[in-house]
Amino acid sequence: MTTTATPVPVEAPVREEKVVREPGWNVIVWNDPITLMTYVVLVLRKLFGYDHVTATRLMLQVHEEGKAIVATQPREQAEVSVARLHAFGLQATLARL
Amino acid sequence: MLKRRGRIQVRFDAAERDALLDIVGRLETHISRALATTPRAYDDKTMQSEYDRWVRPEIERGYGADLDVIRDALSAGEELLVLTEAQVYAWLRGFNQLRLAAGSLLGISEDGWETAASEQLRAKPEFGMLIALGYLQEELVAALES
Repeated sequence: MTTTATPVPVEAPVREEKVVREPGWNVIVWNDPITLMTYVVLVLRKLFGYDHVTATRLMLQVHEEGKAIVATQPREQAEVSVARLHAFGLQATLARL
Repeated sequence: MLKRRGRIQVRFDAAERDALLDIVGRLETHISRALATTPRAYDDKTMQSEYDRWVRPEIERGYGADLDVIRDALSAGEELLVLTEAQVYAWLRGFNQLRLAAGSLLGISEDGWETAASEQLRAKPEFGMLIALGYLQEELVAALES
């Protein structure tokens, strides 16, 4: 003998989804005594799209304070930025916020 | 150097081309020495080892390719070189790596070396190369931004 299950409507569970955003990563450029200031400005403009004034301010911060945060991005993007800075010969690291 | 229709024109006579090729040849073998002193991308050892494994080799291949772009242009035997923007960036990156190599060979570790350098340091060939490459880099940056 077989029995047939009668479908019983059930309520869909209420799901609370939380979007966990990864904290950003800082892209940091460090001073070195060899690389030209004008070259640093050019690289910052090319890689990050900064205008001349912003790129110059960041370059001067690198020169005077030893380092500057030039961007804050998700990790993968920050790593790409650091790799591109390395390709241009700038000293750069990334650090979690 | 002159920017015309989006391209940079660079004029070198034969002696200048030979001198620049000589500088490239002399300094390129020391690029790895300069790289050894550059900061790591990550503080975290695991992340850094991944970066060294997957990203670093491509960057270092890029340094070699940039120097090839310079060498190819200088070896063509032309006095007037017409460079695309991409080629100019390759020259700039290549010159920067060579300058870092020269700086490493000279033991330069602090700003102000241009005025503070001793006569002994100034007499070294790498010092002249550092200055010459810096001049060319400044000219290329100015041409790009003109």
